[in-house]
Amino acid sequence: MSDAIRNSKGMSDTPEEREFELRAHIGSIWSGGRLFIGMYTFLFASLAFSYFYLRSSNNGLLWRPDHVTAPTSFGWSIYSLMLLTALMAVYGQRRLRRGAVTDFQLAGWIGVCAGLAALFLQLWDYTAVPFYPGSSGYASTFIGFTVLNIATIIAGTYWLETTLARSLRLRKELGGVKPELSMHPSAQSFRANVASMAYFWGFLALASTLLFAMFYLL
Amino acid sequence: MTLSAERPHEVEKESFVPPASNAVSRRRGGGWLSQHVGTAIVAGFLGYLLGHWLGNYISSGYPVVTNTGQNSIADLMALIFMVVGWLAGIGALNYPLAKLVGREAKDDVELTGWSKYFRFNLDHKVVGLQYVLGVLLFLFTGGLLAMAIRTELLNPTTHVFSADTYIKIVSEHGTIMMMMASSVVIGPLGNYFVPLMIGARRMAFPRIEAFSLWVFLAGYMVIFSALPFGGFPTGWTGYAPLQTQAGPGMVSYLFGFFVIGLGMMAAGFNLAATIINYRAPGMTWSRVPVFVWSILATAALLTLATPVLVAGGLFGLLDKTVQTAFYVTEHGGSSYLWQNLFWFFGHPEVYIMALPGFGIVGEIIPVFCRKPLFAYRIAAAGMIGVALLSFFVWQHHLFQSGIDPDMRPLFMLTTELISIPTGFIFLVGMGTLYRAKIRFEVPMLFCMAVYFNFLIGGVSGVFLSDVPVNVTVHGGFFVLSHFHYTIMGGLIFAFMAGLYFWLPKMTGRVMNKRLGLWHFWTMFVFFNLTFFPMFIIGLLGQPRRVFTYAKNLQTLNDFSSISAFLLGASFLIFFANLMWSQFINPKKSPANPWESLGLEWQTATPIPPHNFDRIPVIMTDPYHYSEAGAPALADFGDDDFVHTSSGSTTSGDGSA
Repeated sequence: MSDAIRNSKGMSDTPEEREFELRAHIGSIWSGGRLFIGMYTFLFASLAFSYFYLRSSNNGLLWRPDHVTAPTSFGWSIYSLMLLTALMAVYGQRRLRRGAVTDFQLAGWIGVCAGLAALFLQLWDYTAVPFYPGSSGYASTFIGFTVLNIATIIAGTYWLETTLARSLRLRKELGGVKPELSMHPSAQSFRANVASMAYFWGFLALASTLLFAMFYLL
Repeated sequence: MTLSAERPHEVEKESFVPPASNAVSRRRGGGWLSQHVGTAIVAGFLGYLLGHWLGNYISSGYPVVTNTGQNSIADLMALIFMVVGWLAGIGALNYPLAKLVGREAKDDVELTGWSKYFRFNLDHKVVGLQYVLGVLLFLFTGGLLAMAIRTELLNPTTHVFSADTYIKIVSEHGTIMMMMASSVVIGPLGNYFVPLMIGARRMAFPRIEAFSLWVFLAGYMVIFSALPFGGFPTGWTGYAPLQTQAGPGMVSYLFGFFVIGLGMMAAGFNLAATIINYRAPGMTWSRVPVFVWSILATAALLTLATPVLVAGGLFGLLDKTVQTAFYVTEHGGSSYLWQNLFWFFGHPEVYIMALPGFGIVGEIIPVFCRKPLFAYRIAAAGMIGVALLSFFVWQHHLFQSGIDPDMRPLFMLTTELISIPTGFIFLVGMGTLYRAKIRFEVPMLFCMAVYFNFLIGGVSGVFLSDVPVNVTVHGGFFVLSHFHYTIMGGLIFAFMAGLYFWLPKMTGRVMNKRLGLWHFWTMFVFFNLTFFPMFIIGLLGQPRRVFTYAKNLQTLNDFSSISAFLLGASFLIFFANLMWSQFINPKKSPANPWESLGLEWQTATPIPPHNFDRIPVIMTDPYHYSEAGAPALADFGDDDFVHTSSGSTTSGDGSA
């Protein structure tokens, strides 16, 4: 997300113009993060619509024969790990805002590990699912949910990991100045990116709660 | 937006340059051994082979594969690996991978000459021109398939194709054209001109913009791969249960929409972020050009509606590969679920196609009428209104299938409601034309044709929204004619208007007017002669997607087919004009050949790499044609550059 900063080289001839470019760039990260959440909202809404549509249709009484449920131990574990990642992302961002970059990095790496563990469990879950994918409406939507969840975990963890990697390298680029303190455009861009990432993970925590309730509790 | 209207003092540059040691080596500008479209093709081909082998390795022993002889998993994996290989080959994955280790890309080597058009380029102007070539590729492929359809329909009993081949040609034609139409304006003209029109030097996310282009082209390959896979028999709507029963070509259809959907989301995401954040100082929402409003409304639809298509396509792919039953009623799924998901995207998609066309026309007609755009705010509000309402009408596509009959009046009402903001936009055009001294240049002729065609398409749409009419003519040529009038008659004519209008700015070369007039008149006349008879054919009962018909309809069908061939020939005139004017006998265009007040015309031609030497400060909207004492459009930081109310540009001392 730093193209605009990078491309500003040699163009913004005045301080006002540079400030304008930087503010536009940071605004783009902010609105880009919200647009990304909007996209994901409609993606999850499509899944939720499919779930409730098939559930209410109950064609051939095959929505959920014998109230079969996906393995709840996997479900709880994956859900907990996603919540942990979200918690770490939000906590890390708050600590970064207060100037504690080490806390951010520590929380972030815990979050990345939790995300990778959730990914691993989501894949392992396929070996333990007690139904054939096409055996019922519930089974189908559950498989759809897992595929979307895998994509979501990869996207969210990637975003978190890239901010951590950037924080490590940025300090070197800023000549040892902590990125949480610097007013350098790269540091401001970095902080805006972290804030958007944490906001996205907050959204994922909420969405995961709703989807978990749909597939494991209802 | 606090940049002062007074020009800031120049200071020495304090640019931010990332240290080279931390930058990603992109191997750009290193000649033909670096990443370009050739390496993308090779990597895509190798990816296809690898994916197919891997798919067979994983799943060749599965009962569903051995029982049916079809390995959809291998087919899908081949396509996935092909797309990933294509993106890796062009260089789209370099930056995302580098970010994993915290690196930022170093400055690209600025490429000159033709090779930049065959690479992953971050300049929105290059991407815009790449999109022009891309959409023309879609358009001509789809057009050739249309010629095949009309050839078959020349005679109801003597057949060129079998029924099976015919439906697959129809399906491929419809899908390719819909994919093309969703990007035909926003890709080439949106990407090229939005930053110029809002006074920006760049896009918000240029890599995402370039990604959208290369994914769009990958989508072309994926959907075209359906033909060697045996095609798909569902039409462009891909209805289940036919979708579930279809062969491997269906995988290409579903994955093609999935891939194109990703590109559409990326394009919408980037354009929305750009318009929201990169408007030049002084460009308040009430000064944003109407074309930009249309792109913003479209971007919102692309960003929010397309994920539903992506999800629907994903579920279809899961049905085809891992044997889920989303759309299989017998196993607890529902074939209507696809219809709901598809049309929840599909109806906003209609406005994804229509709104940019309205935007182009709204932008062009004041230039040739030399009048301000009538009721500018209503035009903008109409576009937002259409975008919002488009999410609430999708069920009218299900009037004849899976909808509770009691729900029909509600969706009939919402569908009729949407004609109100659409009517606003139409009336804005009429108000601008009213008592204007119109200059009938080629772009203006295309704009006039849009109003003529869209009137027919729109009014027939209001009829179709009524349940009784809808039930009567459903699935017939009447519907077919209606949507060709709106999409081709509206959007493609508007696209042509935009191309003729803006190509002099894009290439610095003017299109030949005589050939342009020939192109316009043949396209306009034969478009109407092709599609208007189809209303009658439809009312007389001919269904869509069927290769035979009642004998008494042959005369009308033949008339329509011959007109269609001539309509196809009109595109050859356009192609000849493009070749002649741009390559064979290029003539340099004046700086502002139409005397437009648009901001995009106020920068130099060819456009500098960063669009504006200084970020302009906008003083007013760009529609003050023929207004005495109208304020200057913008301060470009160049004291002797003033824009007069007549639209001509003079120097500060008043000399022309």
